[in-house]
Amino acid sequence: MKPSHHLDDATLLSYSAGALPTALAVVASTHLERCAACRVRLLDADRIGGVLMQQQRIDAPTDDARAAMLALLDAEPASEPAAAPADLVEEEADPDRLPGALQPWFGHSVRALRWKRVAPGVQRIRASGIAGGDLMLLRIAPGSKLPLHSHGGNELTVILDGAYDDMLGHFGPGDVADLDGRTQHQPVTSPGVPCICVAATDAPLKFSGWVARTLQPLLGF
Amino acid sequence: MMDSDQAVAEVAPFRAKRVVAPPVSNAAPDAQYWSTQMSAVSAQRDRASFMRIYDHFSPRLQRYLRNLGVAEPLADELVQEALLTLWRKAGLFDPARASLATWLYRVARNLYIDQVRREPHWLPIQEGLDRLDHAESDRRDSAPESLIDQDALKQAIDRLPAVQAKLVRMCYLESKSHSEIARELDMPLGSVKSSLRRAFAKLQGSMGGAR
Repeated sequence: MKPSHHLDDATLLSYSAGALPTALAVVASTHLERCAACRVRLLDADRIGGVLMQQQRIDAPTDDARAAMLALLDAEPASEPAAAPADLVEEEADPDRLPGALQPWFGHSVRALRWKRVAPGVQRIRASGIAGGDLMLLRIAPGSKLPLHSHGGNELTVILDGAYDDMLGHFGPGDVADLDGRTQHQPVTSPGVPCICVAATDAPLKFSGWVARTLQPLLGF
Repeated sequence: MMDSDQAVAEVAPFRAKRVVAPPVSNAAPDAQYWSTQMSAVSAQRDRASFMRIYDHFSPRLQRYLRNLGVAEPLADELVQEALLTLWRKAGLFDPARASLATWLYRVARNLYIDQVRREPHWLPIQEGLDRLDHAESDRRDSAPESLIDQDALKQAIDRLPAVQAKLVRMCYLESKSHSEIARELDMPLGSVKSSLRRAFAKLQGSMGGAR
């Protein structure tokens, strides 16, 4: 199914520039794996990078540098250049398989995830070892209404399973919510199956604040 | 002007030709030129073509990496690695999908994220995305990049309003995040993002036609 909510242009541009904080880049990759339309836009962003790289002011390479390069070619085995690997076709959704971009942080299998309950109806797993941001999986019971909240900094969320609705629309598997600090929303998860999503932010302290503010009413204090 | 040229032509046709001929040697090689060099590298393992690519792109890649804050010895190493990748994977280069400049930009950026920012998961993810794209470009009916006017994109970059141009350069050439840019320029985060959005829309418009 084609996603209907996409990456913001500003996010895509930074992704291409290698300037997106790690946690956000992981979530953006998760969406890109599922969204051909955003991959086409990413190629446009890469073209901009290609032109800017070419416009750099330069000195000609030195004779030493050229000789070093040629020596490296000499050391290469005399073989045909690599042929194209088999094309990767977007896989039929195996409900148990986590997207490739998330596997380094959370493993391969949805079933094997070790959820931690943080509030009634809300479970979470935080990735460790992410610098300058926060990356987590959330599993929210069907039919839950989260309190109205906004975020500090940038926040990216991709739905892996289930769905939710808020003022911005209906978000199902593959859809990305690309929000900045000013957006206020109140997601309501759809009935049926739990809503599993991956969320990242570049402002860890404020995000913790958001989690706290979100969960306080659920916890009843 | 016209008259004097004609006058010269009548008197000394040979010299007149030299005067009016465009300076061919100054014309920058275009995507088509690099695509031809790449075919020679791929099909004949042609070193002269490879070194033409090296002479043009290696100093630019080196400057790109140095601007990102990569120390000189490592930048030199990464440039060599990028060009070796080109030598090894020349067969994978598809001019219908990306110009050589775009392709090398991706290779250098990926090396930077992998080896300088030390994000070990970035490369396999990019290879996966690349293979998905490859499967699609066969089905898609888009204009080959070599036919897209690169000069139009260059001009569009030059025409960006000052603030947008600065933000785009801070992204691509300094690898600064939205929040870092906001802090450094004392701009609200929302304004940074909306300026980048506007810049991207303009630049995409210049690549137009294909979509």
